[in-house]
Amino acid sequence: MKKVFGLFILFAILLLAACSDDNASGESDGKDSDDVVELQWYMIGTPQPDTDKVMEELSDYTEEEIGVRVNMTQIDWGDYEERMRIITSSGENYDIAFVSGGTYTLNAQRGAYVGLNDLLDSHGKDVKEALHPDLIEGASIEGELYGIPANKEIGNQSVLVFNDNLVEKYGFDTESIETFADLEPMLEEIKNNEPSFSPISAASMFRPVMPFDYVLGWNMPVVFPFNGDTETAVNLLETDEAMETFKVMRDFYQKGYVPSDAASSTDPWPYNVENWFVRIEGYNPYAELLWERDAGYPVKVQPLTDPIINNEAVTGSLMAISATSKHPEEAMEFLNLLNTDPFARNLVNYGIEGEHYEKNEDGKIVNLPARGERYSVPQYALGNHFILDLFENDPDDKWEAFQEFNDSGVRSPSLGFHFDPSPVRTEIANVSNVASEFMPPIFTGSVDPEEHVPMAIERYNEAGLQTVIDEVQKQYDEWKETVGE
Amino acid sequence: MKKFFRNLWENRTWLLMVLPGTLWFILLAYIPMAGNVIAFKEYTIHPEGFIASIIHSDWVGFDNFKFLFSTSDAWVITRNTILYNLVFILLGLALAVALAILLSQLANKRLAKVYQTGMLFPHFLSWVVVSYFVFSFLSMDKGLFNNILESLGMSGISWYHEPEYWPYILTSMNVWKTVGFSSIIYLAAIAGINRDYYEAAMIDGASKWQQIKHVTLPALMPLMVILTILDIGKIFRADFGLFYQVPRDSGTLYSVTNVIDTYVYRGLMQMGDISMTTAAGLYQSMVGLILVLLTNYIVKRIDKDYALF
Amino acid sequence: MKAEEKPANLSKKRRKKVRNPHHFSPKTNIIMTVLLGLSAFLCIFPFLYVIIISVSSEESLIRYGYKLIPEEWSLDAYSYLWNMRGQLFQSFGISLLVTILGTVISVLMITMYAYAISRPQFRYRGFFTFFAFFTMLFNAGLVPLYIVMNQFLDLRNTIWALILPLAMNAFYIIIMRTFFVRSIPEAILESARIDGASEWRIFFKISVPLAVPGIATIALFSTLGYWNDWFHALLFIDDPNLVPLQALLMRIENNLEFIRQNTELGGAVQEIYATVPQDAAKMAMVVIATLPIALTYPFFQKYFISGLTIGGVKE
Repeated sequence: MKKVFGLFILFAILLLAACSDDNASGESDGKDSDDVVELQWYMIGTPQPDTDKVMEELSDYTEEEIGVRVNMTQIDWGDYEERMRIITSSGENYDIAFVSGGTYTLNAQRGAYVGLNDLLDSHGKDVKEALHPDLIEGASIEGELYGIPANKEIGNQSVLVFNDNLVEKYGFDTESIETFADLEPMLEEIKNNEPSFSPISAASMFRPVMPFDYVLGWNMPVVFPFNGDTETAVNLLETDEAMETFKVMRDFYQKGYVPSDAASSTDPWPYNVENWFVRIEGYNPYAELLWERDAGYPVKVQPLTDPIINNEAVTGSLMAISATSKHPEEAMEFLNLLNTDPFARNLVNYGIEGEHYEKNEDGKIVNLPARGERYSVPQYALGNHFILDLFENDPDDKWEAFQEFNDSGVRSPSLGFHFDPSPVRTEIANVSNVASEFMPPIFTGSVDPEEHVPMAIERYNEAGLQTVIDEVQKQYDEWKETVGE
Repeated sequence: MKKFFRNLWENRTWLLMVLPGTLWFILLAYIPMAGNVIAFKEYTIHPEGFIASIIHSDWVGFDNFKFLFSTSDAWVITRNTILYNLVFILLGLALAVALAILLSQLANKRLAKVYQTGMLFPHFLSWVVVSYFVFSFLSMDKGLFNNILESLGMSGISWYHEPEYWPYILTSMNVWKTVGFSSIIYLAAIAGINRDYYEAAMIDGASKWQQIKHVTLPALMPLMVILTILDIGKIFRADFGLFYQVPRDSGTLYSVTNVIDTYVYRGLMQMGDISMTTAAGLYQSMVGLILVLLTNYIVKRIDKDYALF
Repeated sequence: MKAEEKPANLSKKRRKKVRNPHHFSPKTNIIMTVLLGLSAFLCIFPFLYVIIISVSSEESLIRYGYKLIPEEWSLDAYSYLWNMRGQLFQSFGISLLVTILGTVISVLMITMYAYAISRPQFRYRGFFTFFAFFTMLFNAGLVPLYIVMNQFLDLRNTIWALILPLAMNAFYIIIMRTFFVRSIPEAILESARIDGASEWRIFFKISVPLAVPGIATIALFSTLGYWNDWFHALLFIDDPNLVPLQALLMRIENNLEFIRQNTELGGAVQEIYATVPQDAAKMAMVVIATLPIALTYPFFQKYFISGLTIGGVKE
C-alpha cells in the first residue's frame, strides 16, 4: 500500500510542479519588468549560445532609449514556418515575428498581425522615412501594411553565374549571353571536355528564367506576362515562351547538360565544390564577392533580367507585430529603433564589440572567432541593411551600389497585389499537387514537353486552375481599380 | 444513483489504477481532440486567443474536406493508401510472426540475440537517412544498380522516373524497416507460452510443424488479431516518410507513390491552412473508426474472446 | 541464463542428454541459422553503410555520390562532431534523462491502466478500454495540444514537454492488456485473495512478475519511442540546452529541406548551408545517435527471448 501512495504522491507532485511552474513563470513575466515592457520577438535562424547575452546588452540600450526590453527567441530554419504556424494559430501572446513571402500575406489576411499604418505615423516616423517607398507600397495589403520590410535590395534579378576558371580556360565570351539558349555552344564544349563538371547545376527547384510574374509564388503556374498584355493572368504552360524554354531545357537535358536526376535531386550545389560550370542565381550588388568567398575560386556574373521589383522581392523579409501583442506601440517603437539606429542594428547583427567582433582602423568589422561560434545570425532577416557597418572585405560603396540597384529596378505591374486565396482554397490545394507532380520534370527537361505539357494542362484544368486564374483576374481587376483611384 | 456510487466505491482499486492514465487522456488527448471542430470552420485568428478564434471563425460545413475528393487524384491516393497498407499489414503480420517463431527455435541462443538486435537497426534509421541510402543504389548515373547493369552491358534504368518498380521497392523497404521491430511483440508472447503444452504435444508425437500449428499459433492468435484490428484502424494513414522521402518526391512516380498524407502535405504546404489539415486528419480518423468497429464486430461474431472490446 | 535453470525439475536431466526438443532439428537449424543470418545482415547493412559514409571525405561524396568503398577516407566528420561536443554531450544527456524517466513513468502508468482493464472484476473495464482506444483513432489537434502543454501546463522548454506527451499510448495499453489476460490465470489471483492479499499487493507481487515479458516489451517500445522522438522537441523546445539528440539530427534535415525549398533566397541560402553539417558529419551523428540505443536492446531481450518465464511460477 505504501508503494501505491508513493506513486500517487509522485504523480501529484508532477502535476503540482506543472501548475506551480505555470504560476511562477506567469509572475516572473510581470515581476521581472516592473513597469518596463519586455517584448517577445521570434526570429528565424539556428539558436545561438550568445543570443541572450546580446539581447541583454540590447535591452539595456533600448530600455534607456525607448523604455522596453527585448527577448529574442530563435527557431531553426527548417522548423520556423511550422512552429510559427502553431504559435500564431494558438493565439499565443507574443509581440514581434520575422515573416516572409506568402506566409506574410496569408497570416495578414487571416488576422494574425496588427495593421501598421497608424502605428507607423504615431510611433514609427523614422522607419517610414528610411524605407524605400516601393517596399511600403508593395508590402501593403489592401492599403494596410502588416510588417516592416527589411530595407535591402528590393529587386529580383536573375543572373547566370559562371565558373570563371572554365570561362578563362576556354575563352568563352560570357557577356554576349542574353538568354539561356545562348549557352548551348559553351555547354557542349564543357560536356565534351570536362567530364567531372556538370554543365548546368540544377536540382528539383530549378526554374529557367522566363518573362513572367508568378503572382501566387514559384510553385503555381498562374502568371502575368511581363511583355505584351501584362494585365491578364494566364496559365504559364499555355504560353509560347514557356514552351520554347521547355524545349530548350529538353534539348539540354537530352544532350546531358543537365544532371539526369535533377527533377528529384535535393543537391544544393555548394560553391565550395568545384563541379559545375553555370548556374542561375538571384543577384544583389557584390553578391559575387560572397560567392567567391564561399567558393575559393573566381566566378563570373552575367545578368539575364533587370532587377524586378515584385511582391516576392519586397516581402522577402519583414517583421510583423502580432495581433495578440499587448504592447503594439512599444513593439513599433522598437522596430523603429532597430531599423534606424545604427548602434542597435549593428549590435543585433554582429554581436557585442570586443567580444564577437572588433573594428579595424578603417572602422570596418572584423569577426572574432566568437561570432562564428556563438552569435551567427541571418543578416537578411534582421532589418535595415543600409545602417550596417561594413565588413573588412566589403567594398566601400556597398550601400551606394544597393541604392543604385534599387533605383534601377523595374516595377512589376502586380506590385502590391496580394491575392486572397480563401474563395479557391480547394482548387489551390489540388493545383499545388499537380504542380509538384509535373513542374520539376518539365522545368529540368527530364520529360518531353510536347507530350507532358498538354498532359499537365489537362490535369491542371481538372484540378480547377481556371477557377483560380479567374479569381486572380477578378481580384486583380478590383485591386487595379482601387489603386487607380 | 446510490447504486452508482456504491459501484464506484467497490471498484475503487481499479479506478485508482486507471486514474493517472485517465487524467492524461483527458488532458492530452480528449481536450485537444475538441480542436477538431476547426475542420468545419475557416480558421481566422482573433487577438483574444484560440477559443475566441474558433468562435469567430465562419462555419463552412464540409468545404475543408472537398480538396480530398474533387479531382481524379482522390481515387489514386485512396487506392494507393489502402492497397499499400493492406499489403503492409498482411505481409508484416506473416513475416513478423514467422520471424519470431524462427528466432525462438534457433538452437544457438546467443546468435539468435545477435540476429534480433541486428534486425532492430532499421527501426532507428529515419526515412530521410534511408532515402540517402536507397538513392545510392538507385541513382541514375552514380547508383550501384545502374553500375552493375551497365557493366553487364545493359542500359541503366532511371529508377526515379519509372513507376513500375516502386510498389516493390516501397513494400520491401517497409517490411525491412518494420518487421524486426514488430516481431518483438510476438517473441515476448512466445516467451509467455507455458512449455507444458509443447511437452504434451511432443508426448503425443507431434512434429515441429504441428507444434507450431497447434500450440504456438493459437497462443499468438489473440495478439495477432488485436494488432491487426489496430492496424486496420490506421489503414487510411500512410507513413509519410516512406512515401515522400524514399521516392525523393519525384513527380513522375506519383501514380504509385502518392498517398493521402503526401497529398495533404503537398496541397497545404504553401497555404498552411490548419482547417484543411485538421479536416484531412478527421477524415482519416473517421474511416479508421468505422473500419475498426466493423472488423471488431466481425471478430466478435466469430470468437468473442478475440475482440478488442 | 536464469530462464534456462527454471524448467521443471523433471525435464532437466533429459535436456542434458538429448538436444533441446524445443528447438529445430539440426538440419533445419543450420538452414534457418543461415537464412536468418542473411536477413539480419540485410538489416544491419545500411547501418554499416552509414558508418562508411561517415568516414568518407566530403569532397568525394559530392563528386562521386555514396560509395561502398569511398574514393577518399577521412575522419573530418568526427572531428567536426568533436568540435561540437558541448552540444552533443548536452543533447545526449537530455536524451538519456528523458528516455529513462519517461520509460519509468510510462511503463508504470500503462501497466496499471492495462491491468485494471484486463480484470473481469472491474465493472467499468469496457468503458475504459474504449476510452483509451478512442484516442488512437482521433488525432489530437496539434494546435490544441500546443495550447494545453504551453498555456495550461506551461511545460514549454522543460523536459516534461518531452516526457508527458509520450507517457500514455493506447496501443501499448491494448497490447499490455492482452498480455495480462493471457499470462495470468485467474485461479492464482483467487487463491491469493483467499489468503487475504489486497488487490494492490496482488498486482505488484503476482501479476507484474507474471507479465514480465509483456512489461519488458512495453518498456522497450517506450524506450525506443522516447529516444527516437524529435517531434515534441520541435514543438516545445527552443532552449538549445534541452534539445535531444534525435531532434538535433532532425533539425539538420529540416534545415536542408528549407534550403531546398527556398533557393530563391540567393545569398542567404549559401550562408545557411555553411552552418549545416555536411553529409559525412550528418552520418556520423546518425551513428552516435543510433549505436547507444541499439545496444540497450540485449538488456530487454533477456526477458523475452529464451522463454519459460511462466513455467517457473506454476503452482
